[in-house]
Amino acid sequence: MAETVAPPAGVSQSTAPAPRPRTRRSARDFRNTPMGWLYSAPAVLIFAGFVIVPTFYTFYVSLWHWNVLNPALSTYKGLGNYRDLFTNVDPTFAQTLLNSLYFTVGMIVLGTGVSLGLALLLMRGGKAMGAARVMVYLPHATPLIATSIIWVWIFNPQFGFANYLLHLLHLPASQWTQSQSTAMPSVILFSVWHEVGFTTLVFLGGLAVISEETGEAARVDGCGPWREFWYVTWPQLRPVTAFIVVITSITSLQAFTQFYLLTSGGGPDNATTTLSFLVYKEGIVLGDTGYGAALAVVLFLITILFTLVRRRTDVGGGGLTS
Amino acid sequence: MQKENSHIMRIRATAPAIRSRRVAGAALIAALGLAASACAGGGTTSTASTASGSPLPTVTGPVTITVADAYTATSSLGKTFAKEITAFEAKYPNITVKSVPEANYGALETKLKAEVAAGQEPTIGQGYESFADQLETSGKIVPISTLAGTKTPAQLSTFYTGVQKDLYLPDGTLAMWPIGKSLQVIFYNSAMLSADGLTAATDWNTFATDLEAASKNGVTGITIDPSAQTSGEEWLEELAASNGSQPYAADGSPQFTSSAMVKALQYLQNLKSKGALATGTNYPGETALGGQKGLADISSSAGYYYENQAVGGKFKLTTTAVPQTDEMAGGNFFVFSSATAQQQAAAWQFLQYETSPAAQAVWAAGTGYLPVTAQALTQPAMSSYLTENPWVSQIIGGLNTAFTDPPQEWVDDCGTLLATALQAGLSGTNATSALNTAQTACLQKKQADS
Repeated sequence: MAETVAPPAGVSQSTAPAPRPRTRRSARDFRNTPMGWLYSAPAVLIFAGFVIVPTFYTFYVSLWHWNVLNPALSTYKGLGNYRDLFTNVDPTFAQTLLNSLYFTVGMIVLGTGVSLGLALLLMRGGKAMGAARVMVYLPHATPLIATSIIWVWIFNPQFGFANYLLHLLHLPASQWTQSQSTAMPSVILFSVWHEVGFTTLVFLGGLAVISEETGEAARVDGCGPWREFWYVTWPQLRPVTAFIVVITSITSLQAFTQFYLLTSGGGPDNATTTLSFLVYKEGIVLGDTGYGAALAVVLFLITILFTLVRRRTDVGGGGLTS
Repeated sequence: MQKENSHIMRIRATAPAIRSRRVAGAALIAALGLAASACAGGGTTSTASTASGSPLPTVTGPVTITVADAYTATSSLGKTFAKEITAFEAKYPNITVKSVPEANYGALETKLKAEVAAGQEPTIGQGYESFADQLETSGKIVPISTLAGTKTPAQLSTFYTGVQKDLYLPDGTLAMWPIGKSLQVIFYNSAMLSADGLTAATDWNTFATDLEAASKNGVTGITIDPSAQTSGEEWLEELAASNGSQPYAADGSPQFTSSAMVKALQYLQNLKSKGALATGTNYPGETALGGQKGLADISSSAGYYYENQAVGGKFKLTTTAVPQTDEMAGGNFFVFSSATAQQQAAAWQFLQYETSPAAQAVWAAGTGYLPVTAQALTQPAMSSYLTENPWVSQIIGGLNTAFTDPPQEWVDDCGTLLATALQAGLSGTNATSALNTAQTACLQKKQADS
């Protein structure tokens, strides 16, 4: 807000000019000065060099049958690589898109549900709960690549800990990542284990600031725990839930490491070949850089779509009680 | 040993330097660390070779060459390679060799592609035939025949015939030079063989019977990694070749839908359905064998040291050649055209040293790779190794008869597709259907690359 003061009545503004107002615009103006540009130049250059230019360059490469070893020998394909999205087999583009959606939906449903449940369990204070919170968060703090390698062994059908547990419970052994039907659920299981610490923490933050009075009022009116959660607590957590859903969607679409390590090669019959993994497979392993770039562009557009949804709904930016 | 330094080398101009603004822009962006190697463009580099017809340069002053290889320093491969480099540098004090290793051929190929795109090639690279074909068609490597000044370098005729054929590209260019080769072998748990009254198989049907007989009490006959081209997929190709048809025609066309190939996949499916074959990742066959949960492991002869490590003295290993038709593996060296004339001369000197009988003997005894020349077998460094490992003498003749995949650049991609078909087949997909899909996809790759 401007800090100017109106002159007293009867005082001519022309005879007593008001001092130059100090406004917050001056801070914004500084950013438009040469010094402002100079200070921001390093960040802008790095961002441009590592994000903006490569993004546009990927668009450019997607129009070519690109020879990565000698770009001068590349041949122009126009939209040919995009047409190939609908004709290429093993895997088809549709299959990888469905795999991406399968993983994303699995992560949203299971990840959100588990983290909400854990947050409700852990919301009470105390030393034991504090330790439990640390334990829940610990997997998220570990490097994805290291834990993926460990889980390769956990999922080993012959020697793995997962099948050992099933054996103790008198349940039949599973092929885990080695079977077409269980490969994706196995990756989801690992990913939820790794990510749930973060989302639980976000839910705990949400639970810490919701109104306690409404819950008390509900209980006074005879509301049971489940009805209190469903009609009182859960609605107040809606913005947090929406934030988690959108963030999980974006990170799930871009997930790569666990697919690379747990189901090297994209899983049995491409059961875990997601769009992001296919970008790597086509662009790096198979050397079809142009087609890989076209896939990357499609993945980029889908991610943009989710980002726009996030912006339009303003999830994560508003208050919990909004 | 041959007198490598008596060679007079003739280096002609190879690929013309092609420069354009687009290439320059690509190189700039590559320098910015652009989106990994997939999106990195790079400039071509002109060769430093002399004009056609001029005398071949010899190494006149101190020169350093870099070798991008797949021999990590801590492995038996890396340690033996370091020993060979030391011996070479002692013999040729003007030449310094720097090894820049990667963990495996896949990682090495990715790294080399990025380096080529950025115009930062090493002097010598290593890889499989199809990658060498890509490099050659892109004008990035100098033919061995150019370095040697002849299409028939002196050592070439001493190599096993299969090794000799493996060095040529589809256009007939002698583009690569070997260091060691491997064949697929079968490692058996001797104690388990004896306990079940079994003997090492000499045909695939007997092998299947052995695996089924041993699969009981928590033991699965064999465990493979179907996603890796060096494990399950190679076995599939050998089965098909034994059935009468290799997976590729000589021109690189896929023959995945042949009855031999379908029969091969059905053989593996049958083993799995009877509980005699399991799948896994990360060298699962080695782990199962070492953990006494498997009767046998099918692997490269170069994996001999790793198999022994996994076994850890718990039982005696019996090593035999695979029944019927075998496939040869092992990457070759190639020299980049961006190297200076002095570096190219030094590189050729180094390559010749590596295939000399004495160096081959050290290499084979230290790594488990098979020597590329029979002359190595009589070298002192080889004698105790052969005594301890009689299977080497038994299988090495296979280097004359073993098949290799053709060198066309799409063939490597199609190997990945064949591995996917194997995974699908072992996950319940009909063998014919799985191979049809791989065939269609491979033809698409061939069309794109042709």
